[in-house]
Amino acid sequence: MSFLFGRRPRTNTVDLPKQAKEQISRLDGPGAAVKAEELAKTLGQMKFVLQGTQETESSPEQVYQLVTGMIQEDLLYLLAINLYRLPFESRKDAQVIFSYVLRFRPATASPKSEPIALSYVINNRPEVLVELCNGYHHKESATPAGTVLREVLKSDAAAAIILYDDPNENTPGSKGLTGIQPETKQSGQGVFWKFFNWIDKGSFEVGADAFTTFRELLTKHKQIVAQYLATNFELFFDKYNNILVKSESYVTKRQSIKLLGEILLDRANYAVMTAYVDRGEHLKICMNLLRDDRKMVQYEGFHVFKVFVANPHKSIAVQKILLINRERLLTFLKHFLEDRTDDEQFIDEREFLIKQIKNMPPTPVEPTQKPALLGSQSR
Amino acid sequence: MAQESGAGASDYSLLEELGSGSFGTVFKAIQRSNSEVVAIKMIDLESSEDDIQEIQQEISVLSTCASPFVTQYKASFLRGHKLWIVMEFLGGGSCLDLLKPGTFNEAHIAIICRELLLGLEYLHQEGKIHRDIKAANVLLSTTGKVKLADFGVAAQLTNIKSQRNTFVGTPFWMAPEVIQQAGYDFKADIWSLGITAMELIHGEPPNAATHPMKVLFLIPKAPAPRLEGSNYSKEFKDFVAQCLVKDCDRRPSAKELLKHKFIRYAGKVEALQELIERKQEYDGARSRPSHPKFYQETLNTMSPKVDSDEWVFDTVKASTIAPKKSTTKRRKLSVIHANGQGLQAGPEDALKRLDLKDSPLEYSSPPPITVKKGTIRKQPSIVQLGSPIKHRQSSTQKRPLQPDMNFGNTGSTVRLFRRVSDNSTLAQVSDSAPGSIRDENRPQSTDTTTKEGVLGRRVFNKVIDPAFQELHAQTGNQAKREALSRLADAWSALDAVDPEGEYQMLKIMIERVQSDSKLSALLPQSKGTVKDGTPQATPQKPSGKLVLAQNNPHLASHRRRQSSMQPEGLREKLVNLPGQSVPGLEHTKQLADVLYGRWTDGLRNRWPAV
Repeated sequence: MSFLFGRRPRTNTVDLPKQAKEQISRLDGPGAAVKAEELAKTLGQMKFVLQGTQETESSPEQVYQLVTGMIQEDLLYLLAINLYRLPFESRKDAQVIFSYVLRFRPATASPKSEPIALSYVINNRPEVLVELCNGYHHKESATPAGTVLREVLKSDAAAAIILYDDPNENTPGSKGLTGIQPETKQSGQGVFWKFFNWIDKGSFEVGADAFTTFRELLTKHKQIVAQYLATNFELFFDKYNNILVKSESYVTKRQSIKLLGEILLDRANYAVMTAYVDRGEHLKICMNLLRDDRKMVQYEGFHVFKVFVANPHKSIAVQKILLINRERLLTFLKHFLEDRTDDEQFIDEREFLIKQIKNMPPTPVEPTQKPALLGSQSR
Repeated sequence: MAQESGAGASDYSLLEELGSGSFGTVFKAIQRSNSEVVAIKMIDLESSEDDIQEIQQEISVLSTCASPFVTQYKASFLRGHKLWIVMEFLGGGSCLDLLKPGTFNEAHIAIICRELLLGLEYLHQEGKIHRDIKAANVLLSTTGKVKLADFGVAAQLTNIKSQRNTFVGTPFWMAPEVIQQAGYDFKADIWSLGITAMELIHGEPPNAATHPMKVLFLIPKAPAPRLEGSNYSKEFKDFVAQCLVKDCDRRPSAKELLKHKFIRYAGKVEALQELIERKQEYDGARSRPSHPKFYQETLNTMSPKVDSDEWVFDTVKASTIAPKKSTTKRRKLSVIHANGQGLQAGPEDALKRLDLKDSPLEYSSPPPITVKKGTIRKQPSIVQLGSPIKHRQSSTQKRPLQPDMNFGNTGSTVRLFRRVSDNSTLAQVSDSAPGSIRDENRPQSTDTTTKEGVLGRRVFNKVIDPAFQELHAQTGNQAKREALSRLADAWSALDAVDPEGEYQMLKIMIERVQSDSKLSALLPQSKGTVKDGTPQATPQKPSGKLVLAQNNPHLASHRRRQSSMQPEGLREKLVNLPGQSVPGLEHTKQLADVLYGRWTDGLRNRWPAV
């Protein structure tokens, strides 16, 4: 990076955030191209301060100055909303800057404390996280924004911010973590709900990255997510089934069926699972997956289907569908994916399902136990 | 992810196959919108079990590289269940290809090493580790530019000081610290570069004759390999010695090595054109012209479903349920591209295909693949290792027990959780088992000089073989598939021995069909005879109008052939792979267990859920 410093006198670390802010503000005006170039240099310098090089260590004092300066100038937010406009190399620099800044702790702080910039963002400037998600609007910013997000999402609080973002919720003064009301149903306007379309409608790169983030959100924060899915059961699975599972895109479809299986089989989501497998509609979707013409879709579908069949408290609706199709299912399962000869677990499970279906009573029986989740009575 | 898929693909006209790697086939193609020649890697996602995410990782590493020393990524999109990755086309081939006519001299190696160091300097500064530097992954442009390729196992670090433990790479080129899994960083690439330099001068990496599994124990234990003898300059010997410092802390960085004397005096990249010319002469001197393989749309749809078989959801009409819709759609796609043929592939279709009039190609599709009956049984011992086996099989598949230098000493890249499934493992092996399957130029046992003979061959390549492929692909029942394979084998035997007879056979069959009033209805009118297939296009010359339509119905898909034709036989082949106990190497089994244990540990680190 040293070439960056050859041409102009080196800017003081303290002034870098201010300088970057000024350059960003001029990205629209006359001479934008020149400003973009200057901004690129400033970002390069910032990256250098933060990460040092392979040979030299960075100085904690300088990093501290830079991080606090960035907070003061609201630079993280500005970078997030302008990420897609930066030149190729600068987008990567910005990604590095985000990563370092958001995990920086002063030497004196306890290693368990929240990094200062992250704590600031979570409590005072949640828009930074929302805007990073909005990075999926643009092909250019999807990868850098996604990379930063996945790192930040290691924090439960950050995940909660994204899940509970809801512009319709007009409660002035409540910002960040303190504004979250887990019991309130989501309107579906928040940034989390945009992921469905990013995954399904984006280009391959965008969709794939968005899915990876989506999956992290839903699998890494078990308690938060279990509560969230229970509260927003209808909205979530309506979108999940109709946009993702029924997607025309092979990758979206296959990955989302797999993730569905993971979500349902997670212990923390037990209530969600029982509510999900209670619905005849869900079983129909799933049984059609078994008949998909792509083997891996069938295979992933099987891992959801098995939950319906294995459920000891099947709803009447589910029993009806299984009973009407009993003979078909038995014949079908017998030859289902039979070339999977060395997948012992699969073979065992298939056998188990056949036995379960065979042993079902001929007429539907009222289940002894109903799902605990409110509003999910069988239809 | 759905939207762009169709549009993206239609912008490219696919030309011949360039090669196939461990998990995909690479085609040369022309981008219609700007006439640029590109390389397209196609990965069949249906044949991979768990690793779509890993492919995404590869794309994300590639797409964030912009360096003249790294193959340029252009785009990627889905087409059905295939992922197309569009890359810059490099006409010079890989250094491994260029080694076929003979080893390189020091001057050439110095240039290549300098360019590679520049590429590594870029990657390392970006926080990326390539982890699989070897001649096979170094590509040359026709003008001699050197570029790093294949980022299948590359790592992206979020912190440039952090280290990795994952056990990936290709055994012969792996740095000791990678094998020991004591944490490694960018320096691992420098070691591999040193091994690559030795590979270029010797034609193979050190220890090439050793079993790759054994090599894994040898590298950390034995002293670092050195170039020896008076044949090599002092500078070159020192350069290799610098790269191959076992202690990675004392091993110089890419930046430092760029100042090495051996590198500083290296010449211009244009000099590497000599290597490319040498390879062309070498290819030209070989007796048979190469028969390019062409892309063809694969019929994705397997057994068409009988309506009565559908689920009954009392109130809902089965036919209105979504997946059915997608089925039809997909099938339609294939149909369109097959010019209306191939929908009802089956006997009728096979008959229709006797009409060859719109075949622009004289090139035959590769000759039938006959499964070599492996004599070695699958060792039961490996079964108990559990899931890692699969990965091992796919990842080490290219390495037969006795290294066969004719077909490249690439060894195989150890890819963590590589694209594997029960089916694909087999399919991939067929892709990479040299000699038996991949070599479409292997001599035919009979000269086909007579006209009947030529036609017979053609009948086989255009009609019989594709018909078998299609039928086989549509047959779900294992017993039926086997029977079909046997028939296909028998027919290919006939083809090898007596193409004239083959032609006569088919002729008589058609005549008989025609003479039967009911059967003749199956044949399209006025299309009953086999026409002369004069070549109308030379596919090697990429020019606008000669571009082969990707939907040409007569370009039989060799991929389908490879992936669907012979699961049983290939299963046997798998035994002949490293890591499995083989007479004389039983001692490695225990070691193998340890190693694969590490593999799985590495897996868990990456995907704790697995």
